[in-house]
Amino acid sequence: MNAIQTFKLTRRFNSLVAVNSIDLKIEQGELFSLLGPNGAGKTTTINMLCCLLKPTEGTAQIMGYDIIKEPFKIKQTIGVSPQETAISEHLNSWENLALIGKIHGMSSDEVKRRSGELLEVMGLMERGKDRVRKFSGGMKRRLSIAMAMIHDPSILFLDEPTLGLDPQARRATWEHIAQLKERKTILLTTHYMEEADFLSDKVAIIDEGKIVAMGTPRQLKANFLKTRTMLILAENVTPEIMQGLKSRYSQVIEVEGKLRISDENLDFRELTNYLHSNGAVVHSAALEEPTLEDVFIHLTGKEIRE
Amino acid sequence: MRFWEIGKRNLKELYRDPVGLGFLLGMPLAFILIFSFAFGGQATSPVSIGVVDEDQSQISAAFVSCLESIPALEVVSPVYKSQSEAEEELNTGGLSIYLLIPHGFSEAVEHHQAVDLTLAYNQVDPMLPQRVMPVVSAAALGFLNIPVPLNIELSQREVEIKDEYINYLIPGMAVFGLMILITSVGGIVVRDRARGFLSRLMTTPARPSDFIFGYTLPFIPVIIISIAIYLGVGILMGLSIIGNLGLAFLVLFIIGICCMGMGMILGTVARSEEQASGAPWIFIVPLVMISGAWWPVEQMPSVIKGIAEALPFLHAMDACRDVVTRGAGFTGILPDLYWLIGWTIALFALGIVLFRRSMAR
Repeated sequence: MNAIQTFKLTRRFNSLVAVNSIDLKIEQGELFSLLGPNGAGKTTTINMLCCLLKPTEGTAQIMGYDIIKEPFKIKQTIGVSPQETAISEHLNSWENLALIGKIHGMSSDEVKRRSGELLEVMGLMERGKDRVRKFSGGMKRRLSIAMAMIHDPSILFLDEPTLGLDPQARRATWEHIAQLKERKTILLTTHYMEEADFLSDKVAIIDEGKIVAMGTPRQLKANFLKTRTMLILAENVTPEIMQGLKSRYSQVIEVEGKLRISDENLDFRELTNYLHSNGAVVHSAALEEPTLEDVFIHLTGKEIRE
Repeated sequence: MRFWEIGKRNLKELYRDPVGLGFLLGMPLAFILIFSFAFGGQATSPVSIGVVDEDQSQISAAFVSCLESIPALEVVSPVYKSQSEAEEELNTGGLSIYLLIPHGFSEAVEHHQAVDLTLAYNQVDPMLPQRVMPVVSAAALGFLNIPVPLNIELSQREVEIKDEYINYLIPGMAVFGLMILITSVGGIVVRDRARGFLSRLMTTPARPSDFIFGYTLPFIPVIIISIAIYLGVGILMGLSIIGNLGLAFLVLFIIGICCMGMGMILGTVARSEEQASGAPWIFIVPLVMISGAWWPVEQMPSVIKGIAEALPFLHAMDACRDVVTRGAGFTGILPDLYWLIGWTIALFALGIVLFRRSMAR
C-alpha cells in the first residue's frame, strides 16, 4: 500500500485552478518533495491531503483512508508542520508538545517521555522551559517539526520547513529532517532547490498547479539536462568576444563577474582556445554540476524566485 | 477531553499576556468609572435625609438646626411633623431615609436621660444607615455640648420602585462592557488562524465542539471578574441593589456567555484581525444604544424597539434592572432568561456548524 496516493486531485478557487488534476504515489518510508515557486499549488495540495481543504475534483488516500470520507482517521495518522511556525508563543516547548500530544490521546507519562526525546533530538532541551516567543526562527521551526511528531505519526507533512531561515539554521534543520527519513513517510514542500536535492528520495516539480516532472533528483537532472555548463573567470573579454561566444553557444550569461556558458556540445579545449586566440586571459574554468534549478528552468522557462 | 486541552492552552495564552489581559479587565473598570462619574455621583453628594420632629420643642428644633449645619447631610425641608408623612415618602421612593425625633426628646435631653431616635430607611441603599448613623451620633453627642446617651433604632422599609439614573445605567454599562468579549474571543480565533496555529489544531483529531468550548472556556473567569468589577464599583458609585445580587450576577453571566458565542462566530467568519477586532464595534455601539443602555427603548420608534426586543441585549439589561432596582425574583425575570438562554444555545450551535464548515472548506 502506498502511504499517499492522489487521483486527479484538483482544487479551484473560483476561476483559478490552484491544483490541476495531479496524480502522485508516495511509498511508505519515502521522503517526497513537492518543488515549485510560490503560488505553484504546493500548500493547497498539502492542505487537501491534511483534510483542511476539500478537493473540487478527484480525491486522495492516506494510508488507504479517503481524504473526503475519512478525515478523522487520517488526522490520527498524520503529523503536520504548517508553513507558518504555528506554535503557541506564550507556552514553553514542553507545553506546546503536550498540547498536541494530549489532543492525540496520549497519556501524561507518554507525552513527557516523548517530549524529552524530541527536544533532545531537535536540540531544544536546554531551552525547553523558556517561553517560545523568545526563540529564534530556527528554534521555532524545529519545535514546529517536533510538534508534528509528538504522537509518532506514520506520515509527516512539512510545508516549507526552512522558510525564512538563515543558511546555517536551514542546514541544521535539514540535518534534523534527514535523521527522520528512514522512520517516516515525509511529504515536504519547498521552493529551495538545494533543499529538495539534499533531502529527497523523489521530487515532483509543480508549476501553476500541474506536476511537470517527477523522479529522483539524479533522474530529473539526467533526463532533462543534456547541456553542459562551464563557469569561466577571464579578463579582457571584449564585446566582440561576447558576440562570438553567443553565436557559438546556446546560452552565454555573466554571473558575478564570471561567464556562464551552456551548450549541448560544449567542449572545454575549443572554448578556451577561442578565448585565448581573441586576446582574453582565462584565470579559471570549472564544469558546473546541473541543479534542480536548471531542470526547473528547462521545463518551465522561468526561474524559481525566493 | 480535547476541549479541555485546547482550553488550557488558551487560558495560558490569555493570562500570560499581561497587556492583553490588562486591556480585557481594564476596560470594564474604565467604563464603569467614567460613566458612573459622568452620570452618577451619589457617593460624593450629601445624604438627603428627612426629619420627623414629633417633639416640636425648642430643643428638638435646635437639634434639627444642628443636623442641617452638617455638610454630610441634606435635611429635607420642611421638617415632617408626623411620622406618617415621612413614611409615605419613604414608601414611594421620595425619601431614602428619615430620622424620627420622638415625643419627650427635650425632656430626656434636659434630664440627661437616654434618648431614643429611630432611623427608618428603605432597602434601595443598604449602605445608607452606615453612612448616616455616625453623623447623627456625632451631632447628638456634641449637641449643646451636653453628651446625650443615644439609642438609634434602625428600621428598614420595603419600597416598590427606585428610579435613580445610576441604577438604570450600571446594568446597561455592564452588558455593553461584556460585549467586548465578542471581539476578544473572535480576535483570538482569527489571530490563531492567521498564525497557522488553528490549522495545526485542525489537522489533529479535535472536533468542532472541542474548538468552540476550548476557545471560550478561558474567558469564563474574565466574565466573572468583569461582572464583579461592574457591580462592585457600581455599588461604590451609588448603585442600589434591591433584589438578589446573585441573580443579577447570573443574568450578566449568561449574557457574557452569549457574547462569547457571538465571538466564536465572528472568529470563524472574519478573515483578518482587523475584521475581528475593529469592525464589529460599528455594530456593537448602535446595538447597545438601541437596546436601552443609556435611555429607555420606549422612547424609540417601534421598528427599532422591535429589533432591540429580538436581540438578547435588551433582555439582559431589563432582567438585570428588574432585579437590581425592582427587586424582581427568579420567576419575575424568567421570560428574559428564556430569551437569553435561547440565544446562547442558538449561537453556540451555529458556531459549531460554521466551525465544522471552516475546518474543510
